[in-house]
Parts: sequence; C-alpha cells; structure tokens
Amino acid sequence: MDAVRTETSGREARFDPRGLVELDERVPRVAELEGGRATFDARELTTRQINLELRRLLYEENVHEVTVRNPGARHSLGVGILTRCSITFEGSLGYFACGMIDGPEVHITGRVGWSACENMMSGVVVIDGNAGSLTGAALRGGDVVVKGQVGARSGIDQKGGTIIALGDAGSMTGFMMQRGRQIICGDVGPGLGDSIYDGTIYVAGKIKSLGIDCVPGEWTDADTELIDRKFEIYGLGAPPRFQKFVCGKKLYNYDSLEPSERKLVL
Amino acid sequence: MSDTHHAPAEPQKIISIDAEYLSGHRFPYQEDISLVEDIDLMAATPGPDLNWLEDVQLLEEEGTPAVFDRYSNSFLKIYFPIPEGRENEIARKVLIKHLQAGNSYGIALKERHCKFPQPQLGPWVEDSPTVGTDWKPSVLEGWEPPEH
Repeated sequence: MDAVRTETSGREARFDPRGLVELDERVPRVAELEGGRATFDARELTTRQINLELRRLLYEENVHEVTVRNPGARHSLGVGILTRCSITFEGSLGYFACGMIDGPEVHITGRVGWSACENMMSGVVVIDGNAGSLTGAALRGGDVVVKGQVGARSGIDQKGGTIIALGDAGSMTGFMMQRGRQIICGDVGPGLGDSIYDGTIYVAGKIKSLGIDCVPGEWTDADTELIDRKFEIYGLGAPPRFQKFVCGKKLYNYDSLEPSERKLVL
Repeated sequence: MSDTHHAPAEPQKIISIDAEYLSGHRFPYQEDISLVEDIDLMAATPGPDLNWLEDVQLLEEEGTPAVFDRYSNSFLKIYFPIPEGRENEIARKVLIKHLQAGNSYGIALKERHCKFPQPQLGPWVEDSPTVGTDWKPSVLEGWEPPEH
C-alpha cells in the first residue's frame, strides 16, 4: 500500500500506518534473473528497497535462489521471508538480520550485528563470521550456525530451534531459555543458562560461571545423535567433547502455568 | 426517564482453545491415520533434517493426544490409536497435513488481516498464492485525526 498523506496545520505529512520508517515503496527491479536464480547488487539500494526486491523475486517471480551482493551491513535485511528458498548475502549484515523468517535457507558470508534471526520460525541461517549479542533471540525453530563467536545473551527467551557457535559465547548465554538447544564449541562467559526454564545447552570450552537454576545434565544417546547429526549436516568436522546443561527446576513452575501462558512456550 | 441501556454481554471466555473450536468442525485426518501416513516430513521442512519439527512432540489436551499448532495457538487433537514408538512422528504428520490443507486458523486470519505480501499457506506448500497485497487500514466511523 502507498503511504498515507495527511494535512496538519497547513503542512502535508506522509506516514505508513504499518509503522514503516522508509516510505519509498517502489520496487527497484534491478535483479538479473536466470533459470529460477536471481542476483542483484544492493550497493545503491536502501534497506526497504533491498527487502522489496527480495520479496518480489521470491513471491512474484517464482525465484528460489537469490544472491545479494554488497549488502553493506545494513540493518533488518532478509526479514519476514515466509517461503522456502535459498538466499546468499555476500558480505556482512547489521542488526536484526533475517528476523521472523519461516522457511529460508540463508548463507551470510560476513558478520552480523545484534539480534540476528530473532523470532525465526523455521529454516537455516549460516553465518561465516561473528554474530553480535542476542543472536537467535526468541528463536522458535530452525538452525542458526555461527562459525565465529557470538555475543552476550545468545538465545535469550529461546523457545525452540538450535543455535550452534563454533567460537566463544558471551555472558548470560541462554538467558531465560524455554526450549530448544544451544551448542557452543568455545568458552562461555558468566551466567550461563541464567533462569533457564527448559532446553539444553552444550558447551565444549570453559565456563566462567553458571546462572541461576542452570545445572549439569545427564548425557544420553540422543545428545550424541543430535550433535553428530548437526556437525555432519553443516560440515563442521568432528565434534569436540561437550558438557551438557539443563534446568535445575528449583525455580520451575511450568506445570502450574495457566493454559494460555503454557501455550506461549510451546 | 432515560432510555434503558443494555450492557454488552461479557465475551465468551475459553480456557482451552483447540483447532476444532476455532474452525467449528473436526478434520478427517484427526480420525484416520491412513490420511497422514504418506506425509513426507523431510520434504515439508527446510534443510536436510526435520528442522523446526524437531521441537514438535505429541502432547495431551483435555486427556486426548494432541499436537500444538503454533500458527493458530491451538491444540489439534488426535482421535485414532497411535502406534507405539511413533508418537512424535504421527503428531508431526498430523500437524503438517493440517497446515498443508490450509486448515490452520492462523492461515484464515492471515488472508483477512495480514499487512504485508506473503504466501497464503506458508512454507509448507510450493507456489502458494500471495495474500496481503492490498491491505488498507481500518477506518473508525466518525473519527477525525487530532489537530496536533
């Protein structure tokens, strides 16, 4: 929809009732298409133009594979894509990269800022470099693979899915985690799994300190199967030896939640 | 004497919303396992494993086996006997059947209310039609924008 025009005190103002800051709704149509694949250069495009072009290709042109060159570390790229597809960002992205996606398999060849993949529902995001804090915040499903290091509070409020970091993780990793899995191959900072409700955190390196109600868990064959499978899928080599951490259930009142509250964590 | 005004009735309060309540009827695949046996879970999910379905398990709602549909925040009850050892697999197949058939209440809401273009049926169905291309903000009758 077009931005709405209003007149106030003799001055005309434009706004978008959906809350969009960037009001230019023109789709740039700059991609080169070839047999179900598309490539475009984002250097001269704005954030909204890049996302509009992505949606045009995936929803209207029946393209299933898109490469975005020169994303320029812009924020909020590749968000809200709700279809099965493959997207490659050749470069780094800013904050809130690939948030709220449901289905895409994304490869980011550079780094990402904070809150990458927040609220992701399904799909795969592989980040070749480092990721900022809050990676996979409120993740609901799918796999997030960070080949570098991740910042603080990775998987805060995580409700499903798997976060894999080959490097170190910052403080409060898995803070208020409710479901899902985290596989950290390096060291982790203080407060690991603080106030964790459910879910599993695997750590191969040193742990500065455990958070409230985060305790070592008993290793099972299912843990070995999960880690071997994920390492094989993403070509991560032989997995190191991990320690497993779960909720100690000292603060646990999950069973007494109201039905509507219980659904929020399912 | 002033006119009599009737207060609007209290909205109905439902504690356990299930898919049948939202849609008004039960679906055949809730009662017949043969209708879900041919669902290919790997094909229905991104990546080379079950991806998001890994977190979907057979649960129970009001004493009946059920799977949770996160797209409508409701439980989908399963009434046929579930073979032992296949609980989670069957739960996932019933859910995917429900989503692919477009019966999830969230999909109906999407068609009516979504503000941005998106596939109507989500990532479980290829070449799904696009909805949300002509969203218009609702207008409250008699409302005028404030002057400042």
